[in-house]
This record gives sequence, structure tokens and C-alpha cells, in this order.
Amino acid sequence: MFGMLLEGFGAVFTDPLSIVMIFIGTTVGIVFGALPGLTTVAGLSMFLPITYAMSSGTGLSMLTAIYIGGMSGGLISAILLNIPGTPSSIATCFDGSPMAKNGQAGRALGLAVFASLIGTAISLLVMVVLSPTLANLTIKFGPWEYFSVTVFALTLISSLTGKSIVKGLLSALFGMMFATVGLSPIDSAKRFTFGSLQLTSGFNLLAVLVGLYAISEVLSTAGSEQEKAQIREYKMRGLGFTLKDIKGQGVNFVRSSLIGLGIGILPGIGGSTSNIIAYSVAKTSSKHPEKFGTGIPDGIIASEASNNASIGGAMIPLLTLGIPGDGATAILLGGFMLHGMQPGPLLFQSNGATVYQIFASMILSMIVMALVMYLGMRVIVKILKVPANILLPLIVVLCAIGAYALNNRVFDMWGLILFGIIGLAMSKAGIPAPPFILGFILESAFETNLRRGLEYSNGNFLEVFTRPISATFLVLAIVSLAATLYKQYKPKKATSEE
Amino acid sequence: MNKANKKELGVGIFFAVLSIFYIAESRNVSTFTPFGNRGLDSQSIPAMIGWLSIALSAILIVSTILKDRKERKGSVEQQEQICDPDQVACIDPPAGAKLQGLLQVVPLKLLLSLLFLFFYFLFYQRIGFILSSIFYLVAQSFLLTEKGKRKKWALFIILFSIGVSVLIYFIFTRYFTLFLPRGILG
Repeated sequence: MFGMLLEGFGAVFTDPLSIVMIFIGTTVGIVFGALPGLTTVAGLSMFLPITYAMSSGTGLSMLTAIYIGGMSGGLISAILLNIPGTPSSIATCFDGSPMAKNGQAGRALGLAVFASLIGTAISLLVMVVLSPTLANLTIKFGPWEYFSVTVFALTLISSLTGKSIVKGLLSALFGMMFATVGLSPIDSAKRFTFGSLQLTSGFNLLAVLVGLYAISEVLSTAGSEQEKAQIREYKMRGLGFTLKDIKGQGVNFVRSSLIGLGIGILPGIGGSTSNIIAYSVAKTSSKHPEKFGTGIPDGIIASEASNNASIGGAMIPLLTLGIPGDGATAILLGGFMLHGMQPGPLLFQSNGATVYQIFASMILSMIVMALVMYLGMRVIVKILKVPANILLPLIVVLCAIGAYALNNRVFDMWGLILFGIIGLAMSKAGIPAPPFILGFILESAFETNLRRGLEYSNGNFLEVFTRPISATFLVLAIVSLAATLYKQYKPKKATSEE
Repeated sequence: MNKANKKELGVGIFFAVLSIFYIAESRNVSTFTPFGNRGLDSQSIPAMIGWLSIALSAILIVSTILKDRKERKGSVEQQEQICDPDQVACIDPPAGAKLQGLLQVVPLKLLLSLLFLFFYFLFYQRIGFILSSIFYLVAQSFLLTEKGKRKKWALFIILFSIGVSVLIYFIFTRYFTLFLPRGILG
């Protein structure tokens, strides 16, 4: 494993273009993460077409660099503007902003960058060690196991995202409906094509992803009044903080990183949830919980270590099962497929060298992220002042190139508008988007494996319960559904009793 | 019925109608079972998705109606008219309030952005990437700029849109070897 990783580093360092793209990707990610209203997903969508002409290793290194930069960049606006650049940095505002208000913005920034570095390092270490081992395990999966895993992922994401499990499940089914357009798996029957030749090949995953995340995001920002906030002054010398600030924070660093890692592995929820949970856990287990919210290092460390640790967590199911952990990894999945690689158990066997090159480049991106943020903070803060009226239309133009260049057809661009409107409508109606995406991505695996499983067992569905792994995942799916139903029913009961 | 419940009911009805249409269409899918049907065919999964979706929509509709009934019992129903707290006098909503309400849900900037996007994609291949992008960038940037500042930004937006469209075209076609439509400039 470590030999392969060294070879990965070799591939990165012998390719100057790869290093340049990692630097550009990380910087772009930080900027997109820092700009309120723009997210990592928009950055990934915008830069996806640029990777078309690159080798798979270089292109995917750039995309993962944007992911790492984007997850970290949110801390800048959280501290200097008191507006989280991304949902992953909401909890950073709680203590980062008060610390900046007390005239210690440099200290807050320094601590947050350091916590992001530690969180990313822990999660990448686990990812590098765990992914190949899990891939070796999942390679033994048959159709029933795959079917159960997809059911588990779909029910879990529907339970965890949004306030209503019914709307979560409807969202997943809605995504699956769009995935059934085109030729069916196994027997290639035309479905829902309405006589259109274009629809025979179905909706392109990237058009769906970019439309649902980036275009709807741009449309939503265009339709809302932008908040104008004053950027706080800061001074940062060296790392911005002293050893005294991180003394006794070891447990907080590790605990928050592990929370981020664990939540990142679960499909659909990532840094946006983990930062708040890690902050709450840090507060409840602290000896001085009353100081939280006044500008103490503990809160900043908990939030930033956990959201960055979600990166490695979200990459594990993507690489080993082909199931994305969050919106950004869903775009990464599209990036992998675009470069002729299918994430899943066979990825390590068929594209092992490229995977380890990506691992190496992620480790390098983590270091570049810290360097860019420590040394280039002044420039990044200036970019925060770039007006949205210039930036948003530019994102649309680049996303359109990405959609058009997929197959050189305008049809995929119409997909951008369609899914952009769907994304916007879903957000207004309070329907979570992640289950839709996962439903769209997993429908094919769900259908193929269920049909194959039934054919192998002569139509006997009960065979799924005779295999330990598939039975376990199905039981877990039922438990996650039941637990969510109970959770959603319980508070109503309590209120009605009052 | 309050706004939140109306929204939930709307979501439920939308999915119910969609599912019915989806199930009806799934019956037109051709099936192929040369070795006998030992499992599922190409119609089965869409039918399963459709029926599950109908069941969930029904749950959402029924639960919303029940929730609304419960809420109504405990509170006085809100009226369309604007009333004073003592219910002494009721006044009709001001003229244009309905339009204002609609624009709050779907802002004009959003509608125009969609329209610009529609025309951008419509003319993308016909007039080419450079021209369509220039028009789109200028129109969308002007729309997003505050009314009072448009004059100040005008020259910059026009020059930026031309420059960036030409630059993107050459970078992508020369260095990233992508094909972008030349349109009438070709």
C-alpha cells in the first residue's frame, strides 16, 4: 500500500502540470469556499470542463484539490464576515467571529487553518489505509449484497437529510424516475423516451449534478438580495496563534476529526452537519461550556477539524462502493466516470496507480491549502470583494461549456436548465436534493442487481436474507427508517401532550 | 390552511400526479423475457418506483390534512383580508398585492435570469459560443448589478464580457482541445 502511495507521489512530482493544477485547484476551492453564496460544488462544476483534456490522474487531482480547498475556505468568511462561506463552517462563526470581534481575527484564522490541516490529515490517513481494505472486502459482493447496500444508502440519505423522511424518500424516488429514462439495464428496452432519440441515452449525470447544484445555486442567488457585510481587519503573524492556544486540545482535535470522518462516511451528510455536531460535543464535554460562543479556541478547533475530516470520510464510500458521500463527491463521481474510471470495488485493481496518484495529490493539496491560507490570506480576503454580478454569469458560461462538451450537443445544456429549475423548486418546497442525486446515481445499480439476484435465485427474493452481508444491510436500512420515524413522531407526541 | 401546510399539500399532489403519469407511461415499456420470467422485466422497477411514490404522496397528503385539522382546532383561521386585531373593520388587500406576492415567490430577477439562460442555450450553436456568451454575460451582469450602479459598471461589464468570452474560447479550443461552436463567426 505504502509502496503504491510512494509511486503516486512519484507520479505527482514528476508531472509539473499536476503540481500546477493542484495549486490552482486548491486556491480556486478556497476562494469558492470563502465567497458566501458560492460553494465547492459550484467550483467543481465550473472547473470540470477544464479537466476534460487532462490525463485522468491530473484532472482528478485538480478536482480533489478544489474539494479540499473549498471545505477549508469557508472559515475565512465565517471569521471575517460572520457569514459562513459554506454550510460546513456554520459552527466556526460561533467562536471565530467573537474572537475576531475582540480584535483577534488573526488568531482565529490561524487556529482554524491549523485545525483544518489536522482534520484533513487524520481523515486522509484513514482513507488511505481503509479504502483498499474495504475494496478488497466489497470485491466479494454479489448482486444481493450490492442491492442491499444501495437500499441502505438510499434509506439512510432519505432519513438523514431534510426534516421529513417522507419527502426525503420522495426525493430519492424522483431521482430514480429520471434515471429510468433511456435504455433499461440488462435488456436495453426503451423507457420514457417519448420517441426522442436524444432521450434514448438518458440524462447525463453531469448535466443533472451541475444543474441541480450549480445552476440552481446561481439562480437562487440571482433571485435573492445579497447580504452585504463589513470585512473585519486582521493581523496575522506566523501561524497566528501560540502553543498555549492548542495546549490541551489534543482530545478535541482527535474527537472532532473522528466525528467528521464518521459523518462523512454516511451518504448525504458531510461537513455541513459534522461541524455542528462536533461543536456541540466539544461544548458538552468541556469543563467550561459557558465560555463557548465568546471566542475560545475550542469551538473553532472542533468545527474546522470536523468539517475537513469529512473529506476523507466522504471519499471512502465513493472509492470503494461508488456511493458519493455528499454533493461535492457526487461531482467527483461524475469526474471519475468522465475520465473512464468507475468508482467501486474494482477501481483499485483496474486503476490502482491513478487512485494512489489521487491519494498523493490529496495529501499535497492539504499542505498547499495550509500554505495558501497562511501566506496568501491578504489576497484571498481581497477576492472576497469581487462582486457577484460579475462572478455568477461567468460560472454559468463555464458550466454550459462542461455540459456541451460532454457529447457536443445542446440537449445536455437544456438538462442544465431543467435540473436547475428542479433544484430550485425542491429547495423552495423543502425537499432535500441529496436523496434525489443518490437516487439518480444508484437506480441503475439497484435495478441491475435486484434483477440479477432474482434471476440467479429463480425469482426467490427471500434469498437476500440468507446472505449475512445483504441481510445486515437490509436490517440496517429498516432500523434507520424506523429510528427516523420514531424521532419524527416523538416530538409531535410530546408537544401534543403539553 | 396555513402557508406551510399548503406547500406540503402541493408537494404531495405534485408527486401523486407525477407518479400516476409515470406508472401509466411505464406500461408502454416493451418487455423481453426469452427464457421465461424468473424475476423482473424492464417494466417492473419503474412500476415499483411509481407505486412507492404514490403511497408516499398519499401519506404526505393525508398527514398534512390531519395536521391542518389539528392546528385549526386550536387557532382562529386566517383570512384572506387584512383585519385589525379586534375584528372591527376589514380592509381589502391593496391593489397589486397578488402580483407582489407572486414576485416574492418567484422574483423578477430569477425569471429574467431563466429567460436569459434559455436564449443563451437557444442561440449557443446558431450564433456561436463567443457571440452568445457576450450577449449572455452582458445581460446577466446588468441584471445582477444594482439599478443605481449600472451606468458606472456599464463599460467594465461590456469590455469584461467581450474579453472573457474570447479568452475562454481560445483557451478551451486551443489548449484544452474542446470543441465549441463557432456559429456565424466561423
